[in-house]
Amino acid sequence: MADATAEDLYRQDVRIDAAPDVVFEFFVDGEHMLRWMGIEAKLDATPGGEFRVDVNGRDVAVGEFVEIDRPHRVVFTFGWLDSADMPPGCSRVEVTLTPDEDGTLLRFEHRLVPADRLAQHAEGWDHFLPRLAVAGAGADPGPDPWLDESPH
Amino acid sequence: MDAALRAIAEPRRREILDLVRTRERSAGDIAARFDVSRPAISQHLAVLEDAGLVSARRDGNRRLYRARPEGMAELREYLDGFWTVHLAKLKDAAEHEQRRRRGRRNR
Repeated sequence: MADATAEDLYRQDVRIDAAPDVVFEFFVDGEHMLRWMGIEAKLDATPGGEFRVDVNGRDVAVGEFVEIDRPHRVVFTFGWLDSADMPPGCSRVEVTLTPDEDGTLLRFEHRLVPADRLAQHAEGWDHFLPRLAVAGAGADPGPDPWLDESPH
Repeated sequence: MDAALRAIAEPRRREILDLVRTRERSAGDIAARFDVSRPAISQHLAVLEDAGLVSARRDGNRRLYRARPEGMAELREYLDGFWTVHLAKLKDAAEHEQRRRRGRRNR
């Protein structure tokens, strides 16, 4: 990777008062996922398995699990269904959990997949971020606070 | 913002963006590195420029391109709104779950 900062879209560290194995479930189990994102989720947490979260009844995040190392690390690609503008394969989310006393330090990174690696990820991917932009326009009210707060 | 998202959706445009990130390059120099026609590269450069991801200046009869870091900054700011809200919800949900488990164990 020539220039890591070029691919970084978003990075945040969050300290959570819960053990890594508890936090981990929130990324790999649909019922847990819905407690923080989405209204319907279908997660098959195996390498190559489906990642699908209906975020608000209109915008559906789709991807594929890439790496599952319980309870340390989970990586999945992330994109939006039926959006021709931005293919999911070009970005991915990497979550790293580190024990921190009786809690967890969660590092969340969302980055573009470098162009030279794109070919191997391209198959099966169709869409990405513009649905986010559309969702940001916020026509439909949804349970997702981001929709309500976004001024776009 | 849509324009920036659309611009970086295309792998070749991301490669172009990489090329001009650290140094200014002419359209000809950029085109020479790709196996596609010069007009196709010009088209990609126009999309990147319209999206605010690169800036261009004229030098004699050449056009020189350079990445505009502010362009990506807008995209990041945008994603910030989405993930920051959700990660805050994740923290609440995970801590709630942990308390629930501890409570059950202590009972």
